[in-house]
Amino acid sequence: MTTAFDILLRLLLWLLLAPLVPGIINKVKAWVAGRRGPPVLQLYYDLAKLWRKGVVLSTAVSPGHIAGTAVAWMALVLAALLLPAGPAGAPLAFRGDALLFVYLLALARFCTALAALDTGSAFEGMGAAREVSYAVLGEAAIITALIALSLQTGSVSLTTMLAPAAGAGAALLAAGLFAVLLAENCRVPFDDPNTHLELTMIHEVMVLDHSGPPLAAVLHGASLKLLMFSVLLVQAVLPAGELSPLTAACALAGSVLAVAVGVGLVESLLARLAFRRVPLLLTTAFLLCLFAALVSWRGGHL
Amino acid sequence: MTPGWLLLVAGLGMLIGMVSAFRAKRVWLAATITSAVAALAAAAWVLKAGATWVGRTTLAIGGEPIHLQLDGLSAFFLALLALLGGAGSLYAMAYWTDQQHPVSATSGRAWWNVLLLNMGLVLIVANGLHFLIVWELFTVSAYFLITRERHRREVRAAGWLYLAASHAGTLCLFAFFACLAAHTGNWELGSMRERMELAPLFWLALAGFGLKAGLFPLHIWLPSAHANAPSHVSAILSGVAIKMGIYGLVRFSGWLPVPDLAGWVVAGLGVLSAVLGVAFALGQHDLKRLLAYHSVENIGIILIGLGFAMMAAANGHAAWGQLALAGGLLHVWNHGLFKALLFLGAGSVLHATGTREMSRLGGLWRSMPWTAGLFTLGAVAISGLPPLNGFVSEWLVFLGLFDALSARGATAGAAIPAAVLLGVTGALALACFVKVCGVVFLGLPRSKVAEQAHECGWPMRIPMIVLGTACVAIGLAPVLFWPAIVTASAAWQPFWSETAAPAPLLTLGAFHLVVAALAALAAFALWRRARHNGIRRTGTWDCGYAAPTPRMQYTAGSFAGIITGWFRWILRPERHARIPNEPFPAHAKFEEHTPETVLEHVIEPAGSLVMRVSTAVRRLQHGRLQAYILYLLIGLAALALVALMGGGK
Repeated sequence: MTTAFDILLRLLLWLLLAPLVPGIINKVKAWVAGRRGPPVLQLYYDLAKLWRKGVVLSTAVSPGHIAGTAVAWMALVLAALLLPAGPAGAPLAFRGDALLFVYLLALARFCTALAALDTGSAFEGMGAAREVSYAVLGEAAIITALIALSLQTGSVSLTTMLAPAAGAGAALLAAGLFAVLLAENCRVPFDDPNTHLELTMIHEVMVLDHSGPPLAAVLHGASLKLLMFSVLLVQAVLPAGELSPLTAACALAGSVLAVAVGVGLVESLLARLAFRRVPLLLTTAFLLCLFAALVSWRGGHL
Repeated sequence: MTPGWLLLVAGLGMLIGMVSAFRAKRVWLAATITSAVAALAAAAWVLKAGATWVGRTTLAIGGEPIHLQLDGLSAFFLALLALLGGAGSLYAMAYWTDQQHPVSATSGRAWWNVLLLNMGLVLIVANGLHFLIVWELFTVSAYFLITRERHRREVRAAGWLYLAASHAGTLCLFAFFACLAAHTGNWELGSMRERMELAPLFWLALAGFGLKAGLFPLHIWLPSAHANAPSHVSAILSGVAIKMGIYGLVRFSGWLPVPDLAGWVVAGLGVLSAVLGVAFALGQHDLKRLLAYHSVENIGIILIGLGFAMMAAANGHAAWGQLALAGGLLHVWNHGLFKALLFLGAGSVLHATGTREMSRLGGLWRSMPWTAGLFTLGAVAISGLPPLNGFVSEWLVFLGLFDALSARGATAGAAIPAAVLLGVTGALALACFVKVCGVVFLGLPRSKVAEQAHECGWPMRIPMIVLGTACVAIGLAPVLFWPAIVTASAAWQPFWSETAAPAPLLTLGAFHLVVAALAALAAFALWRRARHNGIRRTGTWDCGYAAPTPRMQYTAGSFAGIITGWFRWILRPERHARIPNEPFPAHAKFEEHTPETVLEHVIEPAGSLVMRVSTAVRRLQHGRLQAYILYLLIGLAALALVALMGGGK
């Protein structure tokens, strides 16, 4: 009973905190640009509004359109169950859960891309094609990062893998994972969440025909994914599992905030890359993770 | 009933089916399905009991007494054969009817039974000579099934290519079994791991069985053969026939000693097949050809598992070796199930629209909801996504690779690239199946034929439902199938006696159940919320463009364009474009076609070189007597010279 309560409580925490991250990023961007910007809680208001709104569906879509959106959101929520939170660990931890985490994200991608193709729009097809293509390189980088962590800890479970500090390769791993975070969450320099030109978008263009509650699920899922990647990045580097609960909570919160500020600064200071440059940057992320893996390999020997 | 009687029933059923195929198709169906059920029961009996059934008679064929043996490994493959054989038989009744194919349907049924019977026999004979006989019969009967529509030129070409490639493989197997018999003194097969002098024979087996399995670069025959065969035949060829190559590799790497390098080579070929198989699949625009290339990919995943198991066995690492082998073996089942499901789905699309060209399809979910749903289920499974079976086996292989990492040493060095590339393969397969499902089933119909499609009947639907259910069952309750895997891997490596399911497998199954239940719940809740708020229907947003047509939808080629661009160095796509450049552009067109690179750039040049040399040599033969006498004289003179120079030694 207590475990069920524990799982529910943590899930609620993940779901409630997630929309905060995009709010912080937008605030940082506004500050850098000298604007006042939208309130930090803007996404909460948007979600509440969308949840009450009616739905405009394309005449082309199948019943799978809404189902796909829902399954994608649920896959992300269940992935959050596998991520540890500092010394408290993950509600669900077993050998091999790291791979399940990666493949749940893939399931979400599969469903989102299919829901996009369902509309028959050329723009959304373009976005889906970009999403699944660049994810190939992103997946290579994430698996390599997991290999680096597994080499260091000898485990394939996120709770044990993320508990200690990343060791000698920490900077490489952090840089690699940060680039993957930007790519997977469609931030600048890979994609621009604020763009209004369909031809140049990846993620936003896939959800052009979503509206009302399904759009709320998409937006909330995206913010959850961003939070998960930030938490993953922070714990891969910090020895979060070995701190006392209070310090760990503060360190975790502070570092996620730092990541959000970092994303906001990158977004304010960099321009979006040309599409042909995107694979290059993702390959760099992969190589950074690979070098981190080699460092942990040597670290085990010396 | 013991396995012996069940197998007898299965064999008799196949023979009755063969005879009745011409006149009484209902008798044929009943006999074939009974025989499949009996074979499945025999396999289940052996897998459950973990005991080996041996049948010997004094009756001799070719001077060799018949010796049959159904052990864990044979039973594991026999179970897959029985399930897919039964499903395919039912499907064939509605798919390849006597009305549409008056000649080829009847003889096709007979050849179908010859194929199934001989594949079953390949799995249970324990005599080298008999193995070669049934192997040849199985190969030839598959040729006759592939060339059902031999009035079409490309079908004949595919059949010839298949026949030539298969016989190149059979030649290696002849050499393999002959050398084996020469070393051991008889044709009997069985475990002889201690005879280290037999190890080099593994390379012959790898070439022979590898050609049948279709691993890269020996896959040249596979795409055209599987694409041009009738769909139920494609399903059995992709699901089971190429697994006979895997069976041979697993069987003889378990019975015979293997060279030290064997595991490395098998794993390396596995990685190569996995990545390049899916890369070639992405470049295809023919639905069935695309699925055929995915067989190359999945054979690669199986071989990664087998290769790492061989490395582990060579180094005495039982734990991760068993995980890798379990993953590889389970993937044999999984690939058989979802690939057969996908081929049957592709078959009903072909049946309904008459085309395999993906760019002419689209929006089929309206007219074919069952096919669309079941095909998408198969697509989720083959992309290795939770909560279906494809993820379970890939996850086991991944666990084996990650555990190999913590063992350090050279094998860990191999596990890093293998794990990364296995992940890349998964992501590429996902991209490919998003493309297939999206272009074929979603959006709007791109042509008249797609608009007028119709759903397939129940005889075609039931086999797909059965296969889909099996995919879901292995995904949600993998623990139930673990004993079968253990029995099969114990037949491969008797020293690995770990029988308890790894604890995480139970957790994974439970988690998959939760994923499935909550995903359904979320879909229902979101649908209800949308209904509650009110749904308005309008056209798809196209940037305000006023007259969108279905032909403006993203096509299969453009969807895969980014990734095929990365693999341009090996795919060598052929492009024909006419770019509009006048002030008033009139005509424009763009075509892209991905050829079979190994065939067109390696095998065909080599073949034409042989032809040129032979033609040059042939000039010696022209029928002029004087010249022949001159050759004789030159020959005699040369001999005399040799005799004089040699000095009578």
